[in-house]
Amino acid sequence: MRIDLERIPIPGQHEAQARTWSIVARAFHERRPSPHRSPWLRVAVVAIAAALIGAAALSAPGRAVLDEVREVVGVERAQPALFSLPAPGRVLVSSDAGVWVVQEDGSKRLLGRYREASWSPFGRFVVAARENELVALEPMGGIRWTLARRDVRSPVWTGSEMDTRIAYVDRTGIRVVGGDGLGDRLLVRGGRGPLAWHPGDGFVLAYADRRGRVVVLDAGTRKVRWRSRPDGRVLDLEWSWNGSRLVARRARARDDLAIYTQRGALFTGFRTPRGVLTAAATRPGTTARAVAIREGAQARLLMPDVLRPALSGPGALSELTWSPDAGWLLASWPSADQWVFVRADGKRIRAASNVAEQFRSGAAPRVEGWCCEPRR
Amino acid sequence: MRGAQAGSVSDLEALFKMHWPRAFRAAYLVAHDAAAAEDIAQESFLAAIRSLERFDRRRPFGPWLHRIVVNRAIDWTRARALRGEVELSDALPGAAQPSEPDGTLAALARLSPEHRAVIVMRYLLDLTPGEIAEALELPRGTVNSRLRRGLDALGDEL
Repeated sequence: MRIDLERIPIPGQHEAQARTWSIVARAFHERRPSPHRSPWLRVAVVAIAAALIGAAALSAPGRAVLDEVREVVGVERAQPALFSLPAPGRVLVSSDAGVWVVQEDGSKRLLGRYREASWSPFGRFVVAARENELVALEPMGGIRWTLARRDVRSPVWTGSEMDTRIAYVDRTGIRVVGGDGLGDRLLVRGGRGPLAWHPGDGFVLAYADRRGRVVVLDAGTRKVRWRSRPDGRVLDLEWSWNGSRLVARRARARDDLAIYTQRGALFTGFRTPRGVLTAAATRPGTTARAVAIREGAQARLLMPDVLRPALSGPGALSELTWSPDAGWLLASWPSADQWVFVRADGKRIRAASNVAEQFRSGAAPRVEGWCCEPRR
Repeated sequence: MRGAQAGSVSDLEALFKMHWPRAFRAAYLVAHDAAAAEDIAQESFLAAIRSLERFDRRRPFGPWLHRIVVNRAIDWTRARALRGEVELSDALPGAAQPSEPDGTLAALARLSPEHRAVIVMRYLLDLTPGEIAEALELPRGTVNSRLRRGLDALGDEL
């Protein structure tokens, strides 16, 4: 039996081993020794947490924290407003009123009348777009620089401590500008989004072209690294945390996911025959994804490695966003006018209602990103 | 292990070369999906890296890693069934076409992931029924009955 099991050929085993070793070696190089915690400290933390949970169970807002999912429009007993975020970081939101930053304590600041935005690396700045302007902002709203271009959209910012780039789309195509607002240039004439920077060294950009191909190119040399076959319109592009996978959500007869290696081979892909995949988000630090599926009039949220739906109800979930610490997932539920925060293990849910009103919006606000605390 | 804990990349590489092939194979035989097996084995190693400093050297590394791998592979297989996902490899142009499955692999595929897991742990990873029971948090009698049923089914198929 053992010999039989060891002889079974596995497609791509050697390539998989090489890919995994490069990722493991990099993780080993970048790891930081974790401090040893005293067992007494752990006991104290558990005791305090138990006391807080007990207190929360007795308080009105706490009931929402401990809520269960119900088959209703929205999570029952959701909090009437977004009083706080369940994890550290700040959420960037765009609504009819403009772009907002939500702090961990729930406070919100309107940065201005912009229609899209994204975080800079390390959360130090925000790049925002309005019809004919690209704007770099401080998270408190102060303007660093602006660039007038026609029909600006889809800005994304990447880079290191020393050197950053912003890619965006305007009437001419995909353009790239330095993080200081200098050196703006056309990268792909007629190109369009979605755009996604590779998280590794260098400036490597993935975008979808008009034929539905995913293209990955070096923004410095303009050299195309690889190009997928056309296969329907690309709705979203997302690199995994370490850049080893590129996930493309496509609109075909039914939406699906195609997952590519960083060298452009089709790694795997999924289709949901019984429904439509409305959103997906790769959990930071892993290659596992949370997915939102619409089956008929029902929405379902499936967390990685959790065997029952974490959320189920009418309508559709439009966006999924992980907290920077990967501990919580934010699911936007427009038909319920709620934001639902689901803990990674799927066992705890917090929800906030009246989301559109809180962001002074007629339509559901869009979550643009949940970023880290700014590094000083 | 000692060298890897001290920060030696070459020792880590030796550890990786020693344990990755079997971890990958175990994940593949339970999940029956090479891409998923790569992810499962990769994430299990990354989890190991993250807790390297805290790892107790008196315990063997292999069984600890294999326990994570097999449990993740079972969870992945169940979650995939729940999601109703199908692979696109036969639908997307240019995708590598899987070859005709090997007889043992095809026979394994007809078992449930739970039965595959005990067969793989027993006959590929050389764990005893007691160790399997501990790793999967199952009563030992359940492991024995799954082994027996799994072997019966494989015997019929093969």
